[in-house]
Amino acid sequence: MAVIELKNINKYFGSGTSRVHVLSDVDFSAEKGQLILVIGPSGSGKSTFLTIAGGLQTPSSGDVIVENQSVDQLSKKQRDKLRLNHVGFVLQSYSLVPYLKVKEQLEFVRKVKPKGNLSDSELKDLLAQLGITDLVNKYPGQLSGGQTQRVAIARALYANPEIVLADEPTAALDSARVVEVGKLFKELADTRKKAVVVVTHDTRLMEFADKTYEIMDGKLHLKNTAEMGQTSK
Amino acid sequence: MYLALKEIRHEKLRYTLIIAMIVLITYLIFILSGLATGLAGENTQAIESWDAKSVVLNRDANVNLSQSTITDAQVKNAKLTKNQALIGQAPVVVKHSDRKKESAQFVGVKKNQYIAKALTPSNGRQARNNKEVVADEQFKADGYKLGDKIKFNSSSTKYTIVGFVKDAKLNVAPVVYGSLKTWQELRDFPGGRLAGSAIISKTANFNGHDKALKTYSNSYFISKLPGYAAQNTTFGFMIGFLMIISLVIIAVFLYILTIQALPTYAVLRAQGIPAAVLVKTIISQSLILMAGGIVIGALLTFITANMIPFGVPISFNVPMLAGMSVGLLLMGVIGAAIPARKIATVDPVRVIGG
Repeated sequence: MAVIELKNINKYFGSGTSRVHVLSDVDFSAEKGQLILVIGPSGSGKSTFLTIAGGLQTPSSGDVIVENQSVDQLSKKQRDKLRLNHVGFVLQSYSLVPYLKVKEQLEFVRKVKPKGNLSDSELKDLLAQLGITDLVNKYPGQLSGGQTQRVAIARALYANPEIVLADEPTAALDSARVVEVGKLFKELADTRKKAVVVVTHDTRLMEFADKTYEIMDGKLHLKNTAEMGQTSK
Repeated sequence: MYLALKEIRHEKLRYTLIIAMIVLITYLIFILSGLATGLAGENTQAIESWDAKSVVLNRDANVNLSQSTITDAQVKNAKLTKNQALIGQAPVVVKHSDRKKESAQFVGVKKNQYIAKALTPSNGRQARNNKEVVADEQFKADGYKLGDKIKFNSSSTKYTIVGFVKDAKLNVAPVVYGSLKTWQELRDFPGGRLAGSAIISKTANFNGHDKALKTYSNSYFISKLPGYAAQNTTFGFMIGFLMIISLVIIAVFLYILTIQALPTYAVLRAQGIPAAVLVKTIISQSLILMAGGIVIGALLTFITANMIPFGVPISFNVPMLAGMSVGLLLMGVIGAAIPARKIATVDPVRVIGG
């Protein structure tokens, strides 16, 4: 069953002759346990897709449904709550608060959202799974790019959301780290039953995805596995 | 509060500099207010020691003690009780062969009236005759001793200091308490009709029963002391401007820090962290900085007050300092309001793109 659905989404920026049709009749859904990739070049509408899916901006038309709630009908506060409880964001940069140690990044989430997070033992397992157990006392400035992304993933997952939205999570990583992150997302989707949606221009992640969409000029197409030449399974 | 404390702890140098600024402003405000209170006190110490509620002066004296004269007949008509005392005030230069000259205020009092009775020397005793005087401790600090024979102005009459009294200043000059007869001599009215300068009353609205006399409340009388209001207003403005400067400083610093941290705040907003949490963070950060600055500034003020030489008019009014501290904290909250607004309205989409 889909935990997030985008139905017939259109998004325009500007007006009159300068109006740009950024997303055009986009339909999309993701289920728990799936790693879904949305691939496209710069300016194709990937980030707009992600921010609309995460309830950060509203579509010009169409409906976004997260956990059976129509995001469009929610107030700003309710959307904050929806993101805090059901959606984990992993972003390309600025993901972590620079003056909080890794363990404090998680502690901060607990302070804002005291209930519904992973238990201490689940968190311990997660940190071990991500290979960052030894990094808990480090500041973001002391971490490598790959470590930063893993911590950002840990923070997103600590709140125990059903959906993880990742924006260019491999942008600053070398090939070895890309593979590492790809495997990790796949593993998290499989073992933790999360719907993981990654928007990226990095085709190296395709081998790990359950489904890959291509976004081009605001239109979203499902790429078939034959076209991709390989599957993640 | 959590983020506020963590950031301050992590960015020690940055926040130490901001706190240092607040410390300096607080210190300046506290010292200035101490000087203002001290100077104001030196204008009024003697009057306050009289425990007056109302003051009767000559109607034509323009509420000026030095210009006021009251006749024997007026005093008689006024029917003074144990709650009233007649005083005669005159500016004098105190001279002694071995000591430096001192400008002072001579206050003549009647031995059997309440002001003279209540005069308690910290050293020595009360005056018993017309040739004895009790002087403010300033004289002692300047080398005068009990038993010193002093003269006033160009008069050849000698008076003996028999006591020193604490906190006896009037119009920023030390007071010398003597008899009303001495006052008459100083004012060149020996055997004349003038009895004194004013009737001081411990009761409010004491009536002088004479058209030529007018009763003023003690607070009004003090507010009309020469230079008193102008001096207090000047200090008030200086302190007010410093408050505004502290507001600008905290607002500018927090604004710059907020602008730098805006991408982080935007990501936190994207992650669903309520704007209220982030706004509380910036306000509590401002309050922590202000409180830290105020506490250190108060400590520095305390140390300074204990090191400052005798004679510098400095005095601290604790409720007033507490009020100023609250004012400074309020400035911090107002200063944080602008960056707080910026945080409340940050658009995560602009950081993420799209």
